[in-house]
Amino acid sequence: MAELARIRNFCVIAHVDHGKTTLSDRLLETTGTVPLREMRDQMLDSMELEREHGITIKARAVRMAWRDHELNLIDTPGHVDFTYEVSRSLAACEGAVLLVDASQGIEAQTLANAYLAVEQGLEVIPVINKIDLPNIDIDVIREELRTTLGFRDEEILLVSGKTGAGVNELLDAIVERIPPPVGDVDAPLRALIFDSHYDAYKGVVAHVRVIDGSLTAHDRIRLIATERESELLELGVFVPDARPIPRLETGETGYVATGLKAVADCRVGDTLTLASRPATNPLPGYRPAKPMVFAGFYPTNAQDYPLLKDAMEKLRLNDASLIYEPETSQALGFGFRAGFLGLLHLEIVQERLEREYDIDLIATSPSVEYRVITQNGAEVAIDNPALLPDPGTIVEIREPWMKVTVIVPTTHVGPVMELAQTKRASLADMSYVDPTRAMLKYDMPLSDVIVDFYDQLKSSSRGYASLDYEFAEYRPADLVRLDILVAGTIVDALSIITHRERAQQSGRILVNRLRGLIPKQMFDVRIQAAIGGKIVASETVKAKRKDVLAKCYGGDITRKRKLLEKQKEGKKRMKMVGSVEIPQEAFLAVLRIGDET
Amino acid sequence: MTRGIGLYVHVPFCASRCPYCDFATAPATTALRGRYLEALGREIAREGDLLGRPRVRTLFFGGGTPSLLEPAEIERLGDDLRRAFVFRPREVTLEANPATLDRARLDAWLALGLTRLSLGAQSFDASGLRALGRTHQPEDSGAAVAVAREARLDVNLDLIFGWPGQTVAAWESDLDIAAALGPDHVSCYPLELRLDPDGSIPNWPGGGWPVLERWRAAAAAAQPDDAGIARMYRVAERSLGRAGYRHYEIANWARPQKRSLHNLGYWRDRDWLGVGAGAHTHLAGARSANPADLRAYIARVESGSARAIDADADPPSENAMLALRLDSGLDLERYAARFGDTAATRVRTALREVEPAHLVQVRGRHARLTARGRLLASEVFIRLLP
Repeated sequence: MAELARIRNFCVIAHVDHGKTTLSDRLLETTGTVPLREMRDQMLDSMELEREHGITIKARAVRMAWRDHELNLIDTPGHVDFTYEVSRSLAACEGAVLLVDASQGIEAQTLANAYLAVEQGLEVIPVINKIDLPNIDIDVIREELRTTLGFRDEEILLVSGKTGAGVNELLDAIVERIPPPVGDVDAPLRALIFDSHYDAYKGVVAHVRVIDGSLTAHDRIRLIATERESELLELGVFVPDARPIPRLETGETGYVATGLKAVADCRVGDTLTLASRPATNPLPGYRPAKPMVFAGFYPTNAQDYPLLKDAMEKLRLNDASLIYEPETSQALGFGFRAGFLGLLHLEIVQERLEREYDIDLIATSPSVEYRVITQNGAEVAIDNPALLPDPGTIVEIREPWMKVTVIVPTTHVGPVMELAQTKRASLADMSYVDPTRAMLKYDMPLSDVIVDFYDQLKSSSRGYASLDYEFAEYRPADLVRLDILVAGTIVDALSIITHRERAQQSGRILVNRLRGLIPKQMFDVRIQAAIGGKIVASETVKAKRKDVLAKCYGGDITRKRKLLEKQKEGKKRMKMVGSVEIPQEAFLAVLRIGDET
Repeated sequence: MTRGIGLYVHVPFCASRCPYCDFATAPATTALRGRYLEALGREIAREGDLLGRPRVRTLFFGGGTPSLLEPAEIERLGDDLRRAFVFRPREVTLEANPATLDRARLDAWLALGLTRLSLGAQSFDASGLRALGRTHQPEDSGAAVAVAREARLDVNLDLIFGWPGQTVAAWESDLDIAAALGPDHVSCYPLELRLDPDGSIPNWPGGGWPVLERWRAAAAAAQPDDAGIARMYRVAERSLGRAGYRHYEIANWARPQKRSLHNLGYWRDRDWLGVGAGAHTHLAGARSANPADLRAYIARVESGSARAIDADADPPSENAMLALRLDSGLDLERYAARFGDTAATRVRTALREVEPAHLVQVRGRHARLTARGRLLASEVFIRLLP
């Protein structure tokens, strides 16, 4: 228990691969929080998936001691989809370490988060990492930090997470430069929830920063936004493993086993207070999860629907940002329409369902949420293209636009601009972060961001471009629904909403791609693309000509049957649409429509 | 077993290996030859004993290249068979490589009771034989037919179509030459290249599967496509039909009264015993098989252990598939009487599913594959599986 003046709450802002985890581990080691022999690589990343994606999805706080001070390192999510979570982590801190890789320079998302930290009034300590690498030009990075964030050279620290060089100085700077927390120790408890996760034994665990007042292990707690109350099960801090403590004071961070059953009841940004003496004003900045990207999830085998349902429920326990509802598709049967913070969030959920729950999934093409103004003046939110109302009843369709920031070496500005043009983006601003790197600001429809933009950006800049985006506004657009018909039947799961100018070309590409993916059947299969009933592209999968095992093989019926059984198994993995067998890849093909448009 | 059984005798030896072939084969010069033939004799004796010395109704020597056996070996085999079974076969077929038949061997086979010679002609086109890796020459087949005729044997010609580089015109020419030789029976097989390593036969030294796999991948790439093969199949139907052959099974044509009685036993789901490496057996409703590996086969016979039973066999669906391969088709009433309503319903459902695509024709109690259905038989058959 430290007095306020001896507490420092800080986080590390860094781009993926810029060495945040290594540096964090080094801080734990240097402060003696984790003895060297117990160190394992990437102490703070706990989930297997996080390791593989190289990102940290869930924030946690670790308490360390340095020169008689209590240092709380609050982890921040590192991906563009989790901006809101980042802002809440920042709100739990008084300072931030801005970590920049000496060989890479500052990246778009790091810059966005650094701006966010400055806006929220945090003391930012600029640190150049990986100074042990050969062939680096530290002066260029210094200039970037001067140009973009106005730092002075003498403020900038040099460290190597790998060798430990400069780590002591960094710890000293954290103590000296970052201000201690301020708060009213006598006021009713107000604790900011900056992360929560579900624990099989302890229920929902909230990670909190106490702003005012204090909390003991025997209190009954209340959550202001969700209006939940619960008996507190355990109070503790991470050092870095969980250690129960009797009391959490003003200015401190720790965890609270809330006894609640779902993280949706204990949302990031909510204010935790005492049931016995509740605070009246919640802390500012709470925002319910706002999904931006939507997709249908269907089990490949219809029998797996209960499994999928169960898995989604379990995932939701631990992911308050995941929202979903049951959905039925003519083509795919029973499934769910789910909303995600962004494309990466979608991918993570999909992978977890497939890997941790072992469910074979078909995910439909991701969609954004459109706002449709109908003739009777109503505004309808549409996140499933198949549900777009009849074009005759639509006055206007609006789609979400994003503010997109790209930082790219000046040598690759040309290709990036060309790419942006294919994505309906308009350039809002262009500046330089240093003489070798430009910062481009675009307005761009989200539907174009989610279709492959990141991958294409990477390939058009040889991997050097970095990306950040945030929601800007809804704008009217000339959008149409493109339907795919197989043997005369609309396959609802393949419908997409697209810009009118592009619809025909997209239709042609899709139809052509499907022709290559739908295997030959017993009869000719026509594949068509249609806009509002008008056919814009058409191809035919010609009927199969030969499929027979002719040879008799001395009465070897066994082998023939086995081959037929194998063939039958292959058919089982396909979805029947009318009388046509469509393989899963055909549904996935729609996802890649961006490749050639 | 009043009507007797079919007996298949497998002789695996070949002068050279045909790279497309998946039968249990072995080099004619293998050191195991003596032990193999000895084991074969023992198996024949023991099976005859176990089955109560049944009558052999049809006998088929397949391979491999059984025509490579020496007269003394043939004679011993004949003695073994006569001892083990009531030996009054209506048909005795020998598979022969056109270049391997000489007088002395033929006499030995005739003494055994040979009635029918099945010649692996494959093609009359030198480039076709080369493409298939065959070692005989186009003219060998005609000569072999003449020898067989002289010995008053029925003759079958095996032809392969769809070999790498083959044109429809080349295939028409093969069919014309075949018909001109006047065989009683013609089998036409599209070249089916099995690309999975299951196709490897352990009896050959050296090369083994990797070499075969390379050859097959290259051959498969140079084969006519499915549409081309389908066209060739139609050409065969027309050409052989005009020449007076009845298309009585998916890959088989015959002059009147000249269908292969032994093979009809397979399709009619009769009882047969297979002896020798890789041979399959169907007795009392159960399917079983010998190992294809010569050593494993010999070991099995010497140890006296039983053949491996196909536990996954499904008699109802297999019966329906086999029957539909024949032009006589499937008698649905008799099928229901034999296998019950569930099986019969499955068959009817399957047939209804493929009828709109014109793969089968159902007239009253009889179901038959159409010309299109013969080419797409797997589409029909997979629907018959449970």
